[in-house]
Amino acid sequence: MPNAVAIKVLVVDDQNSVRQMTRMTLEEIGFRHIHEAENGVQAMETASLQPLDLIISDYNMPEMDGLGLLRAVRGHPVVRKVPFILLTGRGDRELVVKAAQAGVNNYLVKPFTAAILREKIEQVMGKLS
Amino acid sequence: MASLDQLKQTFFDECDEALQQIEAGLTDIREGQQSDDTVNAVFRGVHSVKGGAGIFGFEALVGFAHVFETLLDGVRRGSLKATPDTLDVLLSASDVLSDLVSMSRSGKPIAAGFGNEVRTALQQIIDGDKGGATAAEDDNSPAPADFDGLDFKPVPVNFDDDASAADAMRSYAITFRPKAEMLKKANEPLYIIRELRKLGELELVAQTGEMPSLSEMEPDRPYIWWTGTLQTSSPRAKIDEVFEFVVGDCDLEIVETNAAPAAEMVEIADAPPTAPQEASAPLPPRAAPATPVAAPAATAEHPEVASGGRSAAVKPGATTTRIELERIDRVVNMVGELVISQAMLGQIVQDLPEGTSGRLAQILEEVIHHTRELKDSVMSMRAQPVSSVFQRMPRLVRELSTKTEKKVRLEMAGETTEVDRSIIERLGDPLTHIIRNAVDHGIETPADRLAAGKNEEGTIRLSAEHRGGRIIISVSDDGAGINSERVLKKAKEKGLVSPDAVLSEEEISNLIMLPGFSTAEAVSDISGRGVGMDVVRSNIQDIGGRISLKSERGRGMTIQLALPLTLAVMDGMVIKVGQQTYVMPLSAIVECLRPARTDISNLIGTRGMLQLRGEFVPLVNLGDLLDISSTAGDGGESVVIITDVGEGSRFGLVVDELCGHQQVVIKSIEESYGSVPGIAAATILGNGRVAFILDVEKLNDLAVSSPVGAGIPTKAAPVAKIAMN
Repeated sequence: MPNAVAIKVLVVDDQNSVRQMTRMTLEEIGFRHIHEAENGVQAMETASLQPLDLIISDYNMPEMDGLGLLRAVRGHPVVRKVPFILLTGRGDRELVVKAAQAGVNNYLVKPFTAAILREKIEQVMGKLS
Repeated sequence: MASLDQLKQTFFDECDEALQQIEAGLTDIREGQQSDDTVNAVFRGVHSVKGGAGIFGFEALVGFAHVFETLLDGVRRGSLKATPDTLDVLLSASDVLSDLVSMSRSGKPIAAGFGNEVRTALQQIIDGDKGGATAAEDDNSPAPADFDGLDFKPVPVNFDDDASAADAMRSYAITFRPKAEMLKKANEPLYIIRELRKLGELELVAQTGEMPSLSEMEPDRPYIWWTGTLQTSSPRAKIDEVFEFVVGDCDLEIVETNAAPAAEMVEIADAPPTAPQEASAPLPPRAAPATPVAAPAATAEHPEVASGGRSAAVKPGATTTRIELERIDRVVNMVGELVISQAMLGQIVQDLPEGTSGRLAQILEEVIHHTRELKDSVMSMRAQPVSSVFQRMPRLVRELSTKTEKKVRLEMAGETTEVDRSIIERLGDPLTHIIRNAVDHGIETPADRLAAGKNEEGTIRLSAEHRGGRIIISVSDDGAGINSERVLKKAKEKGLVSPDAVLSEEEISNLIMLPGFSTAEAVSDISGRGVGMDVVRSNIQDIGGRISLKSERGRGMTIQLALPLTLAVMDGMVIKVGQQTYVMPLSAIVECLRPARTDISNLIGTRGMLQLRGEFVPLVNLGDLLDISSTAGDGGESVVIITDVGEGSRFGLVVDELCGHQQVVIKSIEESYGSVPGIAAATILGNGRVAFILDVEKLNDLAVSSPVGAGIPTKAAPVAKIAMN
């Protein structure tokens, strides 16, 4: 049973407000190791600097978008198995289909509550203790 | 920890940036500069608004942004054409989006169906593309957690898989000590460290104890070595591979330590909320992670500096940080107090007996230097690009041109020019007024323009730049310019100038800034209600700015605002009249001189005139004006400060004594005393006494309108010129 306190999660979004909001929600669930990146390129840099257990990424970002990041992660020798949850807006159905093909573990529609976020993470990582 | 309200504030700030990006992008596209980049930028802007609005639950905003975004996506993919009609809809959509953002910000309820017209227009274009398909998602219901009917199964992670990151983590203690041979073979230790870093989490400390002094240093010998830990999921062989080519040329020790739970390491690394746990790694306590060699060079020279670089290496995006303005203002105030204390200290040093102040004076000099730098840094923190004001203008012009049925294009330049935010805040209204005037009175109707041989579409140019310690904002149009006969006639009718006055074109133009002047033949819906340029002028003067105006009949006109960069601290000249001390803004001073009595003549039997290099400059005796008994007479033994009050008008201010130049902190007196003509503010001097800061331009106006000063009530210098003619 994974412990939320020990899980190292990377939040990727170009908007500071969304990152902070996601961070706050994660902290509410009990996460303590939260890293942030502004886009796919930064996310890959961060991922190569330290081990990660979970990536939560927005889709629309400059430099490298969420799908690009997902593909880069899945193609990377070290981080390819890291669970990946894609943040989407309402109406981004097609995107979820594409992400599923690219190997996304789950998706999360904005806005989300702590309960929904927890549920989405648990669907991927198992019940959190 | 940030509160929800603060996060919302951050979001709205981001919205402002996004809206600006949208506006700029759409304008570019309309001007034919469509590229994938511009369309993408607009799309991303709308998407950002939607994304943030989604997370904060502004449903109306999300709904509208979604339709907007869908259309842009069509344009981006090329399935929709950006026709002029489509662009008009997109521009209106950006206006609606901006309105929705401000409504959400103010917390006002958003009327049901707000922006529906534009939304329908967007939807129609989208539907046209898809052949009347989706009328999708115009409900404002909360977002579902899942898409209905979407065949998606979450993919659980199998933690028993031995390749799972957390389980395979191993920790190695590494000692790496390059020998001279290694450098001779052109192997660079820092490359190796960089390679090592790619394997996992690397914490290295540079050992610099053997570093000789510079004179004894041999450039081809390595003096620095490293110890630390590597946490990696890669097999040991991978680590050995990194050192493959240098293994004989260095002392190398790689020992596997107990697989430390990686969590602890991170805990040390970015400790903030929780207490740091016991470090298992051989690290100096709390001086902490000397890290993934953020800057190898720094590590070599100053290990402690490198450890500070950690946050930069790990937290990407930490290059900017949002700080509450209130906090910066507090620093600004403290700097102000510091400037005062420093001035007091300076006074004491000056009063010390000759020869005893040497070292103290020297240090004080340094303090003054540092304070100035501190002030500049703080001021630059408060600085904001003028774009926050400029960005409102395209929409204004668009709306006005529709209303007046004129064709107007707005060009903007220098939006990134920065100025103190207190000035930005007070720039919006005057600028709006000027632009409104330009569209309403300046630019002619398309028919008139064609008849005058001009392009049917008028152009208004709005620009900002730094020049000589001030920011210059100018608005120029290529419209009809000022009709000087009409202006002069009106001014005479209203008794603003004497019936027989002879004025130059430029002076006539400046008449429109006199109180109570408005020439619009018909009071229009937009401007010309009598509250005119005089209000603009006083607004600009209130913030220590100057306004000037140039008009060319039939060619257009330019209004230029010269504003100070900050309102908190300024360079001043301390002057004395009788027993009173005043401060004059240094920026208003052209030169100071002690004229010979023969250079001063009393022309027209009123004010003194100073003959200065062949030109007559009117004099204003500060003592007389403020009713202080001055030791100086008519300027003979006193000092004359030549000041520039803008538009090339000068006058000489007669004072008793110059006491020196110093930085002063501006303290407003308006709250306590109301507006006092001739006095801009107050400050505290080094001796602890309060001194008034003079409002030079007002002083001139006062002198002109005072009983001793005859002549036309415009500016002083023209009087001199007329007199010479």
